[in-house]
Amino acid sequence: MTAATIIQSLASGLLMGLLYGLLAVGLALIFGLMDVTNFAHGEFLMLAMYLTFFLFMFWAVDPLLSIPIVAAGMFVFGAVIYLVIIRFAMRAKANIGMVQIFATFGLAILMRGLAQFFFTPDYRSIPASILGGKTISVFGVFLPVPQLVGALISIAAFGALYFFMKKTDFGRALEATREDAGAVALVGIDKNKVFALGWGLGSALIGLAGGVMAIFFYIYPDVGASFALIAYVTVALGGFGSVFGAFAGGIIVGLVEATTAMILPPSLKSVGIYAVYLLVVFVRPRGLFGSI
Amino acid sequence: MSTPLLETRGVWQRFGGLIANSDVSISVGAGEIVGLIGPNGAGKSTLFNLIAGVLPPTQGSIWFDGKDVTHMPAAERCALGIARTFQVVKSFETMTVIDNVIVGALIRNDKMRDARRKAHEVLEFCGLASRADKLARDLIPSEKRRLEVARALATEPKLLMLDECLTGLTPLEAQSGVALVRKVRETGVTVLMVEHVMEIVMPLVDRAIVLNLGKKLVEGKPTDVVRHPEVISAYLGDRHAVGA
Amino acid sequence: MDSFTQRRRRDLILAAALAVIAACVPFFVKDVYVQNIMVLTLMYAALSQAWNILGGYCGQISLGHALYFGLGAYTTALLFTKFGVLPWFGMLGGGIISALIALALGYPTFRLRGHYFVIATIVIAEIGFLLFHNWDYAGAALGIDIPVRGDSWAKFQFTRSKLPFYYFALVFCCVAWFITWWLEDSKWGFWWRAVKDNPDAAESLGVVVFNSKMGAAAVSAFLTAIGGAFYAQFVSYIDPESVMTFQFSLLMALPAVLGGIGTLWGPVLGAVILIPMTELTRSFIGGSGRGVDLILYGAVIVVISLARPDGLLGLFSRRPASKGVPQ
Repeated sequence: MTAATIIQSLASGLLMGLLYGLLAVGLALIFGLMDVTNFAHGEFLMLAMYLTFFLFMFWAVDPLLSIPIVAAGMFVFGAVIYLVIIRFAMRAKANIGMVQIFATFGLAILMRGLAQFFFTPDYRSIPASILGGKTISVFGVFLPVPQLVGALISIAAFGALYFFMKKTDFGRALEATREDAGAVALVGIDKNKVFALGWGLGSALIGLAGGVMAIFFYIYPDVGASFALIAYVTVALGGFGSVFGAFAGGIIVGLVEATTAMILPPSLKSVGIYAVYLLVVFVRPRGLFGSI
Repeated sequence: MSTPLLETRGVWQRFGGLIANSDVSISVGAGEIVGLIGPNGAGKSTLFNLIAGVLPPTQGSIWFDGKDVTHMPAAERCALGIARTFQVVKSFETMTVIDNVIVGALIRNDKMRDARRKAHEVLEFCGLASRADKLARDLIPSEKRRLEVARALATEPKLLMLDECLTGLTPLEAQSGVALVRKVRETGVTVLMVEHVMEIVMPLVDRAIVLNLGKKLVEGKPTDVVRHPEVISAYLGDRHAVGA
Repeated sequence: MDSFTQRRRRDLILAAALAVIAACVPFFVKDVYVQNIMVLTLMYAALSQAWNILGGYCGQISLGHALYFGLGAYTTALLFTKFGVLPWFGMLGGGIISALIALALGYPTFRLRGHYFVIATIVIAEIGFLLFHNWDYAGAALGIDIPVRGDSWAKFQFTRSKLPFYYFALVFCCVAWFITWWLEDSKWGFWWRAVKDNPDAAESLGVVVFNSKMGAAAVSAFLTAIGGAFYAQFVSYIDPESVMTFQFSLLMALPAVLGGIGTLWGPVLGAVILIPMTELTRSFIGGSGRGVDLILYGAVIVVISLARPDGLLGLFSRRPASKGVPQ
């Protein structure tokens, strides 16, 4: 293995990592906001990828252009899911933890089933797009263009998120609600509204990731499962609930995955990520950079 | 006084930069009812948790019944004879009242039948017998407090630690709570109770220990303690001190 | 006799009656397809009963029980095909190996709470799946074909009739139920429920929370592996996809969740409703891979967890699910 191939792998790992960060940040946001893990996170990604795919198939919208549409669609979807399902799961008198785990789990299975039923289990892909299949060379390192664009979108999204959380009223309300939901109710902020918007925002972020991933990944009903695990690992690394920890966590996961793929057979590349998850939570149950 | 049942020797507890307890040495003799009092943030709850074994102190040692229990986990302390209640009640919500108490009784009874009998006795003693088959989550708050005490008593402790178990009750409920604590002491159990509100505990306890800002301020007979100038100044502005 | 003893005796009588009825069913139901569903129903009832010990009574939600199921199946199949060891010993060995692995894994994982624990169980099972997928000695992705050596109880192989498997599954289900029944009124049963409801309070009452979880994990993993060993003999061919996927972890948890988590009858009730429903929709409406079974599962789980968090058993219970605070 030459130095060049190692650099090459790590560079693609870094790009994927930035995308993983984007993929996971919605999960971290929702977790931090209301202590709920969305076990349907992967299925939200699957839906975003299908949206991108169908926009392309039926209206020939290039994935690059459909990303904002998909994000907007996912925003609405996330908010509706909160209002229709999650809100009620939070009302259980006993076993709230269990109820919300199984409610989101049921949702995941339902979405997978619906996708199989309506979209068939076939593997789909977007045959040709502005970015698809292109690579560029930067200082002799070949970078796939879709991943590169995804990484840039991720950086931009995190930047926007930072601005949003610190500078806007809603961002501050979000921040306040995650610190103390009870006190927030006293100052007249409607908790449900904040939570619904939080779910919308978290889902819109998955929409961004899904829109990019549809360009270079197969789209099928079960696609979310493996990426959901990656998202959990990312969030664990970043510290459950820490939005910007997810950014760092994503980069680490991307690099670990690339490194494992160099050492172990390709079919075992996920083992490295899973092992890192276990290592992190065993040593620090609140994640690497976790503060909550 | 012979060897005390419980003793803390120079106990410190730091949380980061915050000092919750500094050099606290207290002792509780067998058969006493001792009140641990002090204004908010005095470090009462921290000291309570250190004795109960929720976490080990940063420095210092804790002795119970002649043994060093400083680093002993809570479950083992319970086996030695320390039982506690929680300030925010922690009932086993999905279990019945009797089952809640059986959990406590199991530490001294190997056979289920014996544990069950013991639990019924304790419920009778605490005035909860009529609630035995209700789910814990269906009890009213004052009954939940009683259940906490019943569960702790079922472990047949030498020392019963009560964490603000009389706070927040109506005067009538508090009165019957006080009666229960007296009854407990009559059975030979030593009682250490943390209370914020002085009026409730002062007539009940043999001895009061006042904490303030993490340090032991004074200890002695309740009637002396409430007149102590430092105690009055620690509580100054607090209506309970004025009332006393 | 107090109400508690009465209830336990009633449970035992009801279970015996149901077992006798179940034992007679094959005299009237000769259809092999239906018998197949009945075998699976009993197997999942037993597996879910096993899952319920850790997940329901002790409150440690595992979605990685496929690992123990797979270990049971693989131990039996490997010992038989490589060393000619009879499946009964493989079954026992698989159970013991699974229990030991559960203890080893419990050591670090039981310090985790809530979602962190759930995700850890998924991830661990996934690692197990990937390792078996790449383990050449165990057939890797191709799996293991258990060679047919003629019908016999010693080799636990039956090609002509499903009935022996049916009766084994029935016994397995009864044993799992009886173990739960027995544990329910034991020290362990009380410790587990206490740990589930409030670990801090349990610890303060002398319950060693960690040990309680370990005990539940060992029993649960042992029984699950027995189920895996049975399944290997029943289908006579195993590969990682067919015994170790997440799907199995889910199918072990679901009946208990639907029927009533942490209850004696929940897993049985859940399995009796869920498994036939799945199999029937799969063959009559679904066709292959149309996902109708998943839609049904998903919808049922969502609705039940929102509308009846205590499970369907609550519908039969004399005690109202929760009356709230009487005032």
